[in-house]
Parts: sequence; structure tokens; C-alpha cells
Amino acid sequence: MSSTPILHLAQDFLGLVSARHQLITANMANIDTPGYRTQDIDFHAELKRTLDNNGAAMAPVSHSVPGLLQRPDGNDVNLDRESLLLAETQMQYQIGVQVVRSEFHRLLSAINEGK
Amino acid sequence: MSLFSTLEISGSALAAERARADIVAANLANAETTRTTEGGPFRRKMAVFSGSGTSAFRLLLAGYNRLAGRPAGTVRLVRVAEDTTPPVVRYEPGHPDANASGFVSYPNVNPIQEMVDLMGAVRAYQLNASAVAASKQMIQQSLDILK
Repeated sequence: MSSTPILHLAQDFLGLVSARHQLITANMANIDTPGYRTQDIDFHAELKRTLDNNGAAMAPVSHSVPGLLQRPDGNDVNLDRESLLLAETQMQYQIGVQVVRSEFHRLLSAINEGK
Repeated sequence: MSLFSTLEISGSALAAERARADIVAANLANAETTRTTEGGPFRRKMAVFSGSGTSAFRLLLAGYNRLAGRPAGTVRLVRVAEDTTPPVVRYEPGHPDANASGFVSYPNVNPIQEMVDLMGAVRAYQLNASAVAASKQMIQQSLDILK
């Protein structure tokens, strides 16, 4: 459906970033839920998997993050980790969006014969 | 699009934390209440939260089927539990609610504990509000592609 390979790549990237963003907001929402374990996706492995699979949309697999300090109620959400990741995904999303925009501009300039 | 369900997730947490702050406020307001409709002094209330889970299966389900109900990762207040610790007993023979030996049962509310709980609820609320702001910005950026 994408017209250029770069658009396709950016689309996969944005999909993965928003999936991760959803997990981070879920972690933040469950900061007071007893027994909740922090969830995350292995971003690089998932991106590689998507690219190896020739860009076919694949549902990312989430897993509990090991090595986090657990509170007595069994919850191991780390506020600093989630805040940092939230900022990180926000920036990554911005990168993806900018790539899409510049690609569309490139297409438009080709349509306008570089005028 | 999963960005819109993040708003729903953060929204559920905002509602849950607000309810928790309400319960704390009720506890503080009733810190000296010796009469209730159930009889006896007021008993301290506690919020019990429950998450909807973020298993890989649920994420998959939420991705393909918007009718699956709440998106994975939402939280809600499932129960308001009563603290079972015994009431605080003070010797006040002149009090209208004193028992035969002159002791009055006061609620098992500790203001320090309640204030700490309130601060926790406020901070969690702020955290989720900033998550909403982040999601909003990301949605706005996607809309800007159209410009």
C-alpha cells in the first residue's frame, strides 16, 4: 500500500513506537495495581523481525521486564524508567512523522517536476 | 489505532486515582465520626485497584478487535474495602457515645497515613496527566502529516 520503501519503513517504525507507547501508558496507569509487572517490548528485536519479514505487519510481543525492584505488594513499576521511556518514544515518534512528511514532500516535488 | 486507546488507558487511571483521593478525603473528614448508619464509629476505607492485564494475547486481541471492551492495560477501582483494624478507644466518660465503662470508640483513621496516601494519589494523577499530554502531542503530530 505504501508508495516508496522509505514510507513503508516509517510506517512499520511508527506502528512499533505507538505499540510501545501504549505499553508505557499502561505501566503508568497500573502504578498502584497490586501484583502488576512492568511490560515492555524488545524494540530493536521487534523492528528487525518486522524488517526481516519483508515489512508484513506483525503483532509485537510484550514481556515482563526483569530486574526491577519489586514493592511489597508485588508491583514493580519504576516511575523514572517509565517517564524516560515516555519522552524517548515521543521523540522517536516525531522522527517517524518527520520522515513520512519529508518523503511526501519528495513525492510532491517529483509530481511538480522539481518546480 | 493504538494511540487513541492510550488515551483510554490513561483516562482509566485518572478516574481511579481521583476515586482514591475521594476515599482519602472521606477518611480524613470522618476521622472523629463516632456514629454511622451501620452503628459504631466510622471505619477507614481503602481503594482496591485491578488491572485488565497486558498479556501478549490481550494486546493482540485489542489490536484486532475494538469490540473486545477495555483496552489492555486499563485500571479500575474494583472495591472499596474496610480497614479491619480495631477502633481507637479513648476514655471520655462524659461523651454521649461512651460505653458503660466510659470508653468512646473513635475511627481507626491515622491522618499521617491518609496524607501520604493522598500525596501518592496526586502524584500518580499527575503522572497519568503527563502521559495524556504525550499521547495528545503524538496524535497531533500524525495529524500534521496532512498539512
